[in-house]
Amino acid sequence: MHIHFTDPEERRVGAHVRRAPVAYSAIAVVIATGAVACGGSDSGSSGGSGAAAGAKQTVNVTITSKACTPDVSTIPSGPTIFKVVNKGADAVTEAELVDGDTIIGEKENITPGLSGTFSLNVKAGKYQLYCPGADTEKVDFTVTQAAGSAPAATHSAEVTTALTTATTGYATYVRQQVADLVTSTGALVTAVKAGDLDRAATLYAAPRLAYERIEPVAESFGDLDPAIDARIDDAPDAASWTGFHRLEKAIFADRSLAGTGPIADKLNTDVGKLNTLVAKTTFQPAQIANGATTLLDEVGKTKITGEEERYSKLDLVDIQGNVEGANKAFTLLEPALKSLDPKLASTVRTRFTAMDKALAPYKEGTGYVSYDKVTQDQRRGLSQAVDALAEPLSQVAGVVVS
Amino acid sequence: MAEQVALSRRRALFGAAGLAGAGVVAATAAGCSDDSSSATAAAPRGVVPFHGAQQAGITTDAQDRLAFAAFDVSAGVSRDQLRELLVGWTAAAARMAAGQAVADDAAAPHSPPRDTGEAIGLTAGNLTITFGVGPSLFDGRFGLAGRRPAALADIPPLPGDNLDPLRSRGDLCVQACADDPQVAFHAVRNLRRLAQGTAVLRWFQLGFGRTSTTSSGQDTPRNLMGFKDGTNNVKREDTASLDKHVWVGADGDQAWMRGGTYVVTRRIRMLLESWDRDFLLDQEQVFGRTKASGAPLGAAEEFDPVPLTAKGADGEPVIPADAHIRLAAASTNGGATILRRGYSYTDGVNQETGQLDAGLFFIAFQRDPRTGFLPIQRRLAASDALNEYIVHTSSAVFAIPPGVRDPKDFWASSLFTA
Repeated sequence: MHIHFTDPEERRVGAHVRRAPVAYSAIAVVIATGAVACGGSDSGSSGGSGAAAGAKQTVNVTITSKACTPDVSTIPSGPTIFKVVNKGADAVTEAELVDGDTIIGEKENITPGLSGTFSLNVKAGKYQLYCPGADTEKVDFTVTQAAGSAPAATHSAEVTTALTTATTGYATYVRQQVADLVTSTGALVTAVKAGDLDRAATLYAAPRLAYERIEPVAESFGDLDPAIDARIDDAPDAASWTGFHRLEKAIFADRSLAGTGPIADKLNTDVGKLNTLVAKTTFQPAQIANGATTLLDEVGKTKITGEEERYSKLDLVDIQGNVEGANKAFTLLEPALKSLDPKLASTVRTRFTAMDKALAPYKEGTGYVSYDKVTQDQRRGLSQAVDALAEPLSQVAGVVVS
Repeated sequence: MAEQVALSRRRALFGAAGLAGAGVVAATAAGCSDDSSSATAAAPRGVVPFHGAQQAGITTDAQDRLAFAAFDVSAGVSRDQLRELLVGWTAAAARMAAGQAVADDAAAPHSPPRDTGEAIGLTAGNLTITFGVGPSLFDGRFGLAGRRPAALADIPPLPGDNLDPLRSRGDLCVQACADDPQVAFHAVRNLRRLAQGTAVLRWFQLGFGRTSTTSSGQDTPRNLMGFKDGTNNVKREDTASLDKHVWVGADGDQAWMRGGTYVVTRRIRMLLESWDRDFLLDQEQVFGRTKASGAPLGAAEEFDPVPLTAKGADGEPVIPADAHIRLAAASTNGGATILRRGYSYTDGVNQETGQLDAGLFFIAFQRDPRTGFLPIQRRLAASDALNEYIVHTSSAVFAIPPGVRDPKDFWASSLFTA
């Protein structure tokens, strides 16, 4: 998934291009089906899902150049509509509900005079309303546990234990991958700053693999993923384009590292930030499952087409990273899923095996063939294997959700 | 309008959820929907029965919209898995034909909805979903080689073909026809989704307007060249002709196909820019009909007999020797008769030429393409005046098994059991 949220073209036409991040938090986004069906203005967040019975409450949020102000600062947990009105702040056009660095819900492109809504099923906790560009960007927002709404455990003790093992296992995996990312990015940055083109070309693939294994986690931290992984199409202009693909272009297309020192330094810093953030991130079983599906959606959206690594032609490395990350997530959930829905567990496992088989012919040495060697028919075959896997995988979250 | 129909899809999706377990999705829908109570009174309208001796969508009054898809069964899929797909497809198709969602989605906010949802609140729109199997299904992967009917022969290359292999052939086909394009698209999309991992979409053609009539109660529509073509189609009221020319009888070589038929599809691109520059008299001589009234040249009314033997003052035939209407007529093809059920299509602009990519998605049903479509098309391909303005860009043939008898039966069950 690539986040396009700073593309001025898309802002002007008001297209909703920024997919809400997978909600790696204790809160789930309400499916917007109903609202869309009756012409509502919900932002259509689709990253996660969650619901509780009962009518929605409404929080009115007013944007001014000074701050964004909710009409109430404390609400009970449950389905909530955030109605955002811009009372004439040119510099502030969006409001987000955030938990630390994680975006829970948001409404963008609210220019002066406009209003919009987003819907959430908010769980108890301490949050902030964040309006980038305001004098006071963040104000506290508290959600208390609604009476009688404490979620009851629905899984057996055995399954609950298996799911706990999965969540701690996934946190460990993410931290390990990001630690590897820090190391391999550091080596790449050193080569870039030394002006060693050939060495930089050799070292480019390793951090890509690590990053692609856990990309949806990075995407949950707002601006970090675009800073690290934006393609040129995602950047507002070439001058503010940063991250791996900016270096990729210099290394593989321009064949010149002139002026890339600051880009390399920033990448190192951003990867370091990611490392700090994942150290305290926790995961829910459904989030791990949805993250796995998101990884495969990534493959279908920008990798099969060859857009992702257009200069280095290393798209198959990214695809491998996405598939491995999804496989790890599923493998951790598999023991619980085998108890809960053995047929689904078996189907997904079979499809992962088929996916690996589909990738196998393109292996070359320790990596993969250059993606420009993969024909249109072969790309279609890979895409079909991804779809065949992602469809049953998308059903796992609803089974393991607690 | 939608809310007066008994089988509203929205109701099928959300109505059963109840209040207690409804969750936010259902609550939101209920909060803004207007069909909570009025959806029970009237009898279903626009519902074509799905079950029967023959599949619907063949002699059914031609609906306005088409979504036609061909699938290939994925590598490694077993015969049992193929059978399981067809069982699932049939159940889903029966529901959709009745105007229902593909499955009753209980409120499950953490799972993707099983129905994709774009037909919620729409009527069934006379939806028919017709299933067929292509020659390649009998290649040995599923132990069906001995079940291949002789009539299911590959369509050989024909003069004037310019076929795109990726738009041609296929292991399986689904023809969805409805009066609402979204209903037809929804049907194919959901069947495709159910097939993930078992079969892949090979090609997919939308048609936006019927070009044929299949009952005497329907007016003859015009094709994109502006002409009434297909006036003399086989009509559903003419059961004797249907039995003779369309339905496979007891004399077929494969018992499982009795009561079935065969479909040939051809994507026929019309060179509309050239056609629009042709003068009216020539256009009329190409078809052999008057453009305004649809009457055969030399006749007064659309349904008058075609005066194939009449000659003008100059001694030349009134209907030119190479006119489309003459070459396609049964009487000049040894009686070969097919049931046409085609649709106008467009796929936008041909990026190579900047010209319209539009024309006719030709669909014809017959009891044996070797004595139906093939001799007619051979003759047309050799000398039809229309050839100057058309290119055949895809070709496929499928065996259409008999109807699904009841809810326990499934598409092509006789192929697996008989």
